[in-house]
Amino acid sequence: MAFEFTDTNFQETALDTDGVAVIDFWAEWCGPCRIITPIIQQLSEEYEGKAIIGKVNVDDNPEVAMKYGIRSIPTILILKNGEVVDKHVGTTTKQVLADKIESHL
Amino acid sequence: MPLFCFAGTEAFFYPIECNMKLLENYDVRDLGNLELLAKQVVEGFIIGLHKSPFHGFSVEFAEHRLYNQGEDTRNIDWKVYARTDKLFTKRFEEETNLRCQIVLDASSSMYFPEVTKTSEAYINKIRFSSLAAASLMHLLKKQRDAFGLSIFDEAVNIHSRCKSSTAHYRLMLTYLQQLIDHPERNRSTSASQALHQIADSIHKRSMVIIFSDMFEEGEETEKLFSALQHLKHNKHEVILFHVVDKSKEIDFEFENRPYLFIDMETGEQVRLQSNQVKEQYVEQMAKFTGKLRLKCMQYQIDFVEADIHKGFRNILQSYLVKRARMRV
Repeated sequence: MAFEFTDTNFQETALDTDGVAVIDFWAEWCGPCRIITPIIQQLSEEYEGKAIIGKVNVDDNPEVAMKYGIRSIPTILILKNGEVVDKHVGTTTKQVLADKIESHL
Repeated sequence: MPLFCFAGTEAFFYPIECNMKLLENYDVRDLGNLELLAKQVVEGFIIGLHKSPFHGFSVEFAEHRLYNQGEDTRNIDWKVYARTDKLFTKRFEEETNLRCQIVLDASSSMYFPEVTKTSEAYINKIRFSSLAAASLMHLLKKQRDAFGLSIFDEAVNIHSRCKSSTAHYRLMLTYLQQLIDHPERNRSTSASQALHQIADSIHKRSMVIIFSDMFEEGEETEKLFSALQHLKHNKHEVILFHVVDKSKEIDFEFENRPYLFIDMETGEQVRLQSNQVKEQYVEQMAKFTGKLRLKCMQYQIDFVEADIHKGFRNILQSYLVKRARMRV
Protein backbone atom coordinates (compact mmCIF):
# COMPACT_ATOMS: atom_id res chain seq x y z
CA MET A 1 0.00 0.00 0.00
CA ALA A 2 1.13 3.50 -0.80
CA PHE A 3 1.92 5.66 2.21
CA GLU A 4 -1.04 7.58 3.72
CA PHE A 5 -0.20 11.19 4.49
CA THR A 6 -2.49 12.91 6.99
CA ASP A 7 -2.82 16.37 8.51
CA THR A 8 -0.94 15.15 11.56
CA ASN A 9 1.92 13.21 9.98
CA PHE A 10 2.47 15.45 6.94
CA GLN A 11 5.04 17.75 8.53
CA GLU A 12 7.39 15.02 9.69
CA THR A 13 6.96 12.59 6.80
CA ALA A 14 6.88 14.92 3.80
CA LEU A 15 8.36 18.24 4.84
CA ASP A 16 11.02 17.46 7.41
CA THR A 17 12.66 14.69 5.43
CA ASP A 18 15.36 15.30 2.83
CA GLY A 19 14.75 14.01 -0.66
CA VAL A 20 11.75 13.64 -2.91
CA ALA A 21 8.15 13.18 -1.77
CA VAL A 22 5.30 12.54 -4.18
CA ILE A 23 1.81 13.32 -2.89
CA ASP A 24 -1.37 12.28 -4.63
CA PHE A 25 -4.42 14.27 -3.50
CA TRP A 26 -7.53 12.14 -3.94
CA ALA A 27 -11.05 11.33 -2.73
CA GLU A 28 -13.06 8.14 -2.67
CA TRP A 29 -15.83 9.51 -4.86
CA CYS A 30 -13.51 10.74 -7.60
CA GLY A 31 -13.36 8.49 -10.68
CA PRO A 32 -10.13 9.84 -12.19
CA CYS A 33 -8.44 9.42 -8.78
CA ARG A 34 -9.21 5.71 -8.93
CA ILE A 35 -7.37 5.53 -12.24
CA ILE A 36 -4.29 7.09 -10.67
CA THR A 37 -4.36 4.97 -7.46
CA PRO A 38 -2.78 1.78 -8.87
CA ILE A 39 -0.13 3.86 -10.64
CA ILE A 40 0.81 5.54 -7.37
CA GLN A 41 0.85 2.13 -5.71
CA GLN A 42 3.23 0.70 -8.32
CA LEU A 43 5.49 3.76 -8.23
CA SER A 44 5.70 3.62 -4.43
CA GLU A 45 6.97 0.06 -4.69
CA GLU A 46 9.39 0.81 -7.51
CA TYR A 47 10.87 3.89 -5.85
CA GLU A 48 10.97 2.50 -2.31
CA GLY A 49 14.05 3.88 -0.60
CA LYS A 50 14.57 6.57 -3.26
CA ALA A 51 11.44 8.66 -2.75
CA ILE A 52 8.47 8.67 -0.46
CA ILE A 53 5.30 8.26 -2.51
CA GLY A 54 1.88 8.43 -0.90
CA LYS A 55 -1.67 9.75 -0.91
CA VAL A 56 -3.70 12.39 0.90
CA ASN A 57 -7.44 11.96 1.19
CA VAL A 58 -8.72 15.52 0.78
CA ASP A 59 -11.98 14.83 2.64
CA ASP A 60 -10.21 13.51 5.72
CA ASN A 61 -7.25 15.91 5.58
CA PRO A 62 -8.51 19.34 4.53
CA GLU A 63 -5.59 21.22 6.12
CA VAL A 64 -2.93 19.83 3.81
CA ALA A 65 -5.18 20.28 0.79
CA MET A 66 -5.87 23.87 1.79
CA LYS A 67 -2.21 24.60 2.45
CA TYR A 68 -1.33 23.72 -1.13
CA GLY A 69 -4.49 25.30 -2.61
CA ILE A 70 -5.73 22.03 -4.09
CA ARG A 71 -8.87 22.83 -6.12
CA SER A 72 -8.80 19.89 -8.50
CA ILE A 73 -8.32 16.23 -7.89
CA PRO A 74 -6.38 14.19 -8.67
CA THR A 75 -3.46 16.54 -8.13
CA ILE A 76 0.03 15.18 -7.76
CA LEU A 77 2.66 17.31 -6.07
CA ILE A 78 6.35 16.53 -6.14
CA LEU A 79 8.26 17.99 -3.20
CA LYS A 80 12.00 18.15 -2.89
CA ASN A 81 13.44 18.97 0.52
CA GLY A 82 10.00 20.24 1.54
CA GLU A 83 9.57 22.58 -1.46
CA VAL A 84 7.09 22.04 -4.29
CA VAL A 85 9.10 21.42 -7.46
CA ASP A 86 6.43 19.98 -9.76
CA LYS A 87 2.66 19.68 -9.99
CA HIS A 88 0.35 17.63 -12.18
CA VAL A 89 -3.44 17.93 -12.33
CA GLY A 90 -5.68 15.25 -13.81
CA THR A 91 -5.14 11.73 -15.00
CA THR A 92 -1.86 10.76 -16.53
CA THR A 93 0.23 7.75 -17.39
CA LYS A 94 2.72 5.95 -15.21
CA GLN A 95 5.53 6.84 -17.60
CA VAL A 96 4.86 10.58 -17.35
CA LEU A 97 4.93 10.45 -13.56
CA ALA A 98 8.00 8.23 -13.49
CA ASP A 99 9.83 10.67 -15.80
CA LYS A 100 8.93 13.59 -13.55
CA ILE A 101 10.10 11.77 -10.43
CA GLU A 102 13.35 10.71 -12.14
CA SER A 103 14.09 14.28 -13.11
CA HIS A 104 14.05 15.36 -9.45
CA LEU A 105 15.91 12.44 -7.89
CA MET B 1 -25.45 -10.47 -43.76
CA PRO B 2 -23.34 -7.60 -42.52
CA LEU B 3 -23.70 -4.47 -44.54
CA PHE B 4 -20.10 -3.59 -44.09
CA CYS B 5 -17.12 -5.70 -43.28
CA PHE B 6 -13.41 -5.58 -43.71
CA ALA B 7 -11.59 -8.56 -45.08
CA GLY B 8 -7.95 -7.70 -45.42
CA THR B 9 -7.88 -4.65 -47.58
CA GLU B 10 -11.17 -5.43 -49.28
CA ALA B 11 -14.31 -3.74 -48.10
CA PHE B 12 -17.75 -4.80 -49.20
CA PHE B 13 -20.64 -2.47 -49.37
CA TYR B 14 -24.19 -3.51 -49.78
CA PRO B 15 -27.26 -1.24 -49.84
CA ILE B 16 -25.26 1.92 -49.36
CA GLU B 17 -24.31 1.48 -53.00
CA CYS B 18 -27.46 3.26 -54.11
CA ASN B 19 -26.87 5.96 -51.56
CA MET B 20 -23.42 6.67 -52.94
CA LYS B 21 -24.71 6.71 -56.50
CA LEU B 22 -27.10 9.41 -55.47
CA LEU B 23 -24.24 11.41 -54.12
CA GLU B 24 -22.05 10.87 -57.09
CA ASN B 25 -24.75 12.09 -59.40
CA TYR B 26 -25.59 14.89 -57.06
CA ASP B 27 -25.57 18.20 -58.79
CA VAL B 28 -22.89 19.90 -56.79
CA ARG B 29 -23.08 23.11 -58.79
CA ASP B 30 -25.47 24.91 -56.51
CA LEU B 31 -23.90 23.72 -53.32
CA GLY B 32 -21.04 26.11 -52.93
CA ASN B 33 -20.78 25.38 -49.26
CA LEU B 34 -17.95 22.92 -48.73
CA GLU B 35 -19.03 22.13 -45.20
CA LEU B 36 -22.48 21.06 -46.24
CA LEU B 37 -21.14 19.11 -49.16
CA ALA B 38 -18.54 17.31 -47.06
CA LYS B 39 -21.22 16.41 -44.55
CA GLN B 40 -23.42 15.02 -47.30
CA VAL B 41 -20.63 12.87 -48.67
CA VAL B 42 -19.70 11.48 -45.27
CA GLU B 43 -23.22 10.93 -43.99
CA GLY B 44 -24.12 9.22 -47.23
CA PHE B 45 -21.10 7.01 -46.89
CA ILE B 46 -21.57 5.94 -43.32
CA ILE B 47 -25.33 5.42 -43.42
CA GLY B 48 -25.88 1.71 -43.43
CA LEU B 49 -22.49 0.72 -42.08
CA HIS B 50 -23.41 -2.27 -39.99
CA LYS B 51 -20.26 -2.43 -37.96
CA SER B 52 -19.30 0.97 -36.71
CA PRO B 53 -15.67 1.71 -37.35
CA PHE B 54 -15.79 4.50 -34.80
CA HIS B 55 -15.85 2.67 -31.48
CA GLY B 56 -13.19 3.51 -28.94
CA PHE B 57 -13.16 7.24 -29.53
CA SER B 58 -14.23 9.26 -26.59
CA VAL B 59 -13.52 12.13 -24.36
CA GLU B 60 -11.79 11.07 -21.21
CA PHE B 61 -12.91 12.15 -17.78
CA ALA B 62 -9.71 13.64 -16.40
CA GLU B 63 -10.36 15.41 -13.12
CA HIS B 64 -12.78 16.88 -10.58
CA ARG B 65 -12.43 20.60 -9.96
CA LEU B 66 -14.04 22.78 -7.30
CA TYR B 67 -16.97 24.67 -8.78
CA ASN B 68 -16.51 28.43 -9.05
CA GLN B 69 -19.47 30.75 -9.05
CA GLY B 70 -20.41 31.83 -12.55
CA GLU B 71 -19.18 28.64 -14.20
CA ASP B 72 -21.45 26.60 -16.40
CA THR B 73 -23.56 24.33 -14.20
CA ARG B 74 -23.80 21.63 -16.87
CA ASN B 75 -20.60 19.96 -15.78
CA ILE B 76 -21.37 19.81 -12.08
CA ASP B 77 -21.10 16.29 -10.74
CA TRP B 78 -24.40 16.08 -8.87
CA LYS B 79 -23.69 12.63 -7.48
CA VAL B 80 -20.64 13.98 -5.71
CA TYR B 81 -22.71 16.91 -4.44
CA ALA B 82 -25.27 14.48 -3.01
CA ARG B 83 -22.57 12.51 -1.30
CA THR B 84 -20.25 15.22 -0.03
CA ASP B 85 -22.27 18.43 -0.10
CA LYS B 86 -19.54 20.00 -2.23
CA LEU B 87 -19.85 21.30 -5.74
CA PHE B 88 -17.33 19.83 -8.13
CA THR B 89 -17.26 20.04 -11.90
CA LYS B 90 -16.10 17.27 -14.17
CA ARG B 91 -13.32 18.16 -16.55
CA PHE B 92 -12.73 16.16 -19.67
CA GLU B 93 -9.72 15.68 -21.82
CA GLU B 94 -10.05 15.01 -25.49
CA GLU B 95 -8.61 11.68 -26.38
CA THR B 96 -6.95 11.83 -29.73
CA ASN B 97 -5.72 8.65 -31.20
CA LEU B 98 -4.62 9.86 -34.55
CA ARG B 99 -2.97 12.82 -36.16
CA CYS B 100 -3.70 13.11 -39.81
CA GLN B 101 -2.02 15.57 -42.16
CA ILE B 102 -3.85 16.14 -45.41
CA VAL B 103 -1.50 17.32 -48.12
CA LEU B 104 -2.93 18.98 -51.19
CA ASP B 105 -1.19 19.80 -54.43
CA ALA B 106 -2.45 23.18 -55.68
CA SER B 107 -0.22 23.57 -58.72
CA SER B 108 -1.87 24.80 -61.91
CA SER B 109 -2.17 21.32 -63.40
CA MET B 110 -4.62 20.49 -60.62
CA TYR B 111 -7.06 22.96 -62.18
CA PHE B 112 -7.53 20.63 -65.15
CA PRO B 113 -10.03 20.36 -66.80
CA GLU B 114 -10.92 24.02 -66.94
CA VAL B 115 -14.47 24.39 -65.73
CA THR B 116 -16.93 27.08 -64.88
CA LYS B 117 -20.20 26.81 -63.00
CA THR B 118 -21.97 26.48 -66.31
CA SER B 119 -19.80 23.57 -67.49
CA GLU B 120 -21.55 20.26 -68.00
CA ALA B 121 -19.50 18.54 -65.34
CA TYR B 122 -18.50 21.09 -62.74
CA ILE B 123 -15.61 19.11 -61.39
CA ASN B 124 -11.88 19.39 -61.84
CA LYS B 125 -8.96 17.91 -59.96
CA ILE B 126 -8.64 20.68 -57.39
CA ARG B 127 -12.37 20.77 -56.70
CA PHE B 128 -12.44 17.01 -56.36
CA SER B 129 -9.39 16.98 -54.05
CA SER B 130 -10.72 19.83 -51.91
CA LEU B 131 -14.06 18.17 -51.47
CA ALA B 132 -12.44 14.82 -50.72
CA ALA B 133 -10.15 16.53 -48.19
CA ALA B 134 -13.14 18.30 -46.59
CA SER B 135 -15.02 15.00 -46.38
CA LEU B 136 -12.06 13.29 -44.73
CA MET B 137 -11.73 16.15 -42.27
CA HIS B 138 -15.41 15.87 -41.44
CA LEU B 139 -14.94 12.16 -40.81
CA LEU B 140 -11.83 12.78 -38.70
CA LYS B 141 -13.63 15.47 -36.70
CA LYS B 142 -16.49 13.06 -36.06
CA GLN B 143 -13.98 10.58 -34.71
CA ARG B 144 -12.30 13.28 -32.62
CA ASP B 145 -9.05 12.69 -34.41
CA ALA B 146 -6.76 15.62 -35.05
CA PHE B 147 -6.15 16.80 -38.58
CA GLY B 148 -4.00 19.39 -40.29
CA LEU B 149 -3.78 20.69 -43.81
CA SER B 150 -0.79 21.44 -46.02
CA ILE B 151 -1.17 23.07 -49.40
CA PHE B 152 1.77 23.28 -51.76
CA ASP B 153 2.69 24.16 -55.32
CA GLU B 154 6.27 25.36 -55.86
CA ALA B 155 6.60 25.66 -52.08
CA VAL B 156 4.44 24.86 -49.05
CA ASN B 157 1.99 27.76 -48.90
CA ILE B 158 -0.21 26.67 -46.04
CA HIS B 159 0.80 24.32 -43.28
CA SER B 160 -1.44 23.98 -40.25
CA ARG B 161 -0.87 22.00 -37.09
CA CYS B 162 -3.14 19.06 -36.24
CA LYS B 163 -6.21 19.92 -34.17
CA SER B 164 -9.66 18.44 -33.87
CA SER B 165 -11.81 21.45 -33.01
CA THR B 166 -14.72 22.72 -35.07
CA ALA B 167 -13.13 26.16 -35.37
CA HIS B 168 -10.03 24.55 -36.85
CA TYR B 169 -12.19 22.54 -39.24
CA ARG B 170 -13.93 25.70 -40.45
CA LEU B 171 -10.61 27.47 -40.97
CA MET B 172 -9.34 24.56 -43.05
CA LEU B 173 -12.51 24.72 -45.13
CA THR B 174 -11.93 28.38 -45.90
CA TYR B 175 -8.44 27.54 -47.15
CA LEU B 176 -9.93 24.89 -49.41
CA GLN B 177 -12.66 27.22 -50.61
CA GLN B 178 -10.06 29.83 -51.50
CA LEU B 179 -8.21 27.25 -53.56
CA ILE B 180 -11.31 26.53 -55.59
CA ASP B 181 -12.34 30.16 -55.97
CA HIS B 182 -8.97 31.60 -56.91
CA PRO B 183 -7.21 29.46 -59.48
CA GLU B 184 -3.68 30.54 -60.29
CA ARG B 185 -1.96 30.08 -63.63
CA ASN B 186 1.59 28.98 -64.24
CA ARG B 187 2.22 27.51 -60.82
CA SER B 188 4.50 24.52 -61.20
CA THR B 189 4.78 21.58 -58.80
CA SER B 190 7.61 20.81 -56.48
CA ALA B 191 6.07 17.90 -54.66
CA SER B 192 9.38 16.38 -53.59
CA GLN B 193 10.57 19.50 -51.79
CA ALA B 194 7.18 20.04 -50.18
CA LEU B 195 6.93 16.45 -48.99
CA HIS B 196 10.42 16.57 -47.47
CA GLN B 197 9.46 19.71 -45.60
CA ILE B 198 6.16 18.25 -44.41
CA ALA B 199 7.76 14.94 -43.39
CA ASP B 200 10.10 16.80 -41.05
CA SER B 201 7.58 19.18 -39.58
CA ILE B 202 4.84 16.82 -38.41
CA HIS B 203 4.74 14.40 -35.49
CA LYS B 204 6.18 10.98 -36.13
CA ARG B 205 3.71 8.17 -36.73
CA SER B 206 1.09 10.48 -38.22
CA MET B 207 -1.19 9.55 -41.04
CA VAL B 208 -0.38 11.48 -44.19
CA ILE B 209 -2.93 11.68 -46.97
CA ILE B 210 -1.69 13.19 -50.21
CA PHE B 211 -3.84 14.45 -53.06
CA SER B 212 -1.75 15.14 -56.12
CA ASP B 213 -1.54 14.41 -59.81
CA MET B 214 2.18 13.83 -59.28
CA PHE B 215 3.06 15.66 -62.45
CA GLU B 216 6.70 16.56 -62.01
CA GLU B 217 9.44 17.47 -64.46
CA GLY B 218 11.17 14.37 -65.82
CA GLU B 219 14.31 14.54 -63.67
CA GLU B 220 12.27 15.38 -60.58
CA THR B 221 10.58 11.98 -60.49
CA GLU B 222 13.42 10.30 -58.61
CA LYS B 223 13.39 13.11 -56.05
CA LEU B 224 9.67 12.57 -55.61
CA PHE B 225 10.24 8.90 -54.81
CA SER B 226 12.90 9.82 -52.29
CA ALA B 227 10.44 12.26 -50.65
CA LEU B 228 7.87 9.47 -50.36
CA GLN B 229 10.55 7.29 -48.81
CA HIS B 230 11.33 10.08 -46.34
CA LEU B 231 7.70 10.06 -45.18
CA LYS B 232 7.86 6.34 -44.54
CA HIS B 233 11.24 6.69 -42.86
CA ASN B 234 9.63 9.02 -40.31
CA LYS B 235 7.17 6.20 -39.60
CA HIS B 236 4.18 7.97 -41.11
CA GLU B 237 1.35 5.96 -42.56
CA VAL B 238 0.86 7.33 -46.04
CA ILE B 239 -1.99 7.18 -48.53
CA LEU B 240 -1.34 8.70 -51.92
CA PHE B 241 -4.42 9.61 -53.93
CA HIS B 242 -3.28 10.00 -57.50
CA VAL B 243 -5.90 12.48 -58.68
CA VAL B 244 -6.50 12.25 -62.41
CA ASP B 245 -9.09 12.90 -65.06
CA LYS B 246 -8.63 9.35 -66.29
CA SER B 247 -10.34 9.62 -69.64
CA LYS B 248 -8.26 12.63 -70.68
CA GLU B 249 -4.98 12.34 -68.81
CA ILE B 250 -4.42 8.61 -68.77
CA ASP B 251 -6.44 7.25 -71.68
CA PHE B 252 -6.05 10.38 -73.84
CA GLU B 253 -9.58 10.19 -75.17
CA PHE B 254 -9.77 13.12 -77.54
CA GLU B 255 -11.54 13.26 -80.87
CA ASN B 256 -9.32 12.79 -83.87
CA ARG B 257 -8.89 16.40 -84.87
CA PRO B 258 -6.25 19.07 -84.34
CA TYR B 259 -5.97 20.39 -80.78
CA LEU B 260 -3.96 23.10 -79.14
CA PHE B 261 -2.54 21.63 -75.95
CA ILE B 262 -1.40 24.13 -73.32
CA ASP B 263 0.78 23.18 -70.38
CA MET B 264 -1.08 24.70 -67.45
CA GLU B 265 2.06 24.97 -65.36
CA THR B 266 4.46 26.53 -67.88
CA GLY B 267 2.09 27.96 -70.48
CA GLU B 268 3.92 26.08 -73.25
CA GLN B 269 1.69 25.40 -76.26
CA VAL B 270 1.76 22.64 -78.84
CA ARG B 271 -0.54 21.91 -81.78
CA LEU B 272 -1.29 18.24 -82.31
CA GLN B 273 -3.60 15.82 -84.02
CA SER B 274 -4.56 13.64 -81.05
CA ASN B 275 -4.18 10.31 -82.85
CA GLN B 276 -0.58 11.08 -83.75
CA VAL B 277 0.56 10.98 -80.16
CA LYS B 278 -2.10 8.92 -78.40
CA GLU B 279 -0.29 5.61 -78.49
CA GLN B 280 3.00 7.01 -77.25
CA TYR B 281 1.32 9.20 -74.62
CA VAL B 282 -0.75 6.35 -73.20
CA GLU B 283 2.34 4.15 -73.09
CA GLN B 284 4.42 6.82 -71.29
CA MET B 285 1.67 7.51 -68.79
CA ALA B 286 1.19 3.80 -68.09
CA LYS B 287 4.93 3.51 -67.54
CA PHE B 288 4.92 6.46 -65.13
CA THR B 289 1.91 5.32 -63.11
CA GLY B 290 3.28 1.77 -63.09
CA LYS B 291 6.57 3.02 -61.64
CA LEU B 292 4.75 5.20 -59.10
CA ARG B 293 2.60 2.26 -58.07
CA LEU B 294 5.64 0.01 -57.74
CA LYS B 295 7.57 2.51 -55.63
CA CYS B 296 4.57 2.98 -53.37
CA MET B 297 4.32 -0.76 -52.95
CA GLN B 298 8.00 -0.91 -52.04
CA TYR B 299 7.63 1.82 -49.43
CA GLN B 300 4.33 0.35 -48.17
CA ILE B 301 2.41 3.44 -49.19
CA ASP B 302 -1.22 2.95 -50.19
CA PHE B 303 -1.49 4.09 -53.78
CA VAL B 304 -5.03 4.87 -54.87
CA GLU B 305 -5.96 6.08 -58.29
CA ALA B 306 -8.64 8.72 -57.80
CA ASP B 307 -10.52 9.43 -61.00
CA ILE B 308 -12.41 12.68 -60.54
CA HIS B 309 -15.43 11.24 -62.33
CA LYS B 310 -15.72 8.22 -60.05
CA GLY B 311 -16.91 9.93 -56.85
CA PHE B 312 -15.58 9.87 -53.31
CA ARG B 313 -16.32 6.36 -52.14
CA ASN B 314 -12.87 5.19 -53.13
CA ILE B 315 -11.31 7.90 -51.01
CA LEU B 316 -13.30 7.33 -47.83
CA GLN B 317 -13.04 3.57 -48.19
CA SER B 318 -9.24 3.66 -48.52
CA TYR B 319 -8.99 5.88 -45.49
CA LEU B 320 -11.19 3.62 -43.35
CA VAL B 321 -9.27 0.51 -44.36
CA LYS B 322 -5.98 2.19 -43.46
CA ARG B 323 -7.43 3.48 -40.20
CA ALA B 324 -8.68 0.03 -39.27
CA ARG B 325 -5.23 -1.38 -39.96
CA MET B 326 -3.53 1.25 -37.82
CA ARG B 327 -5.68 0.38 -34.83
CA VAL B 328 -4.54 -3.23 -34.76
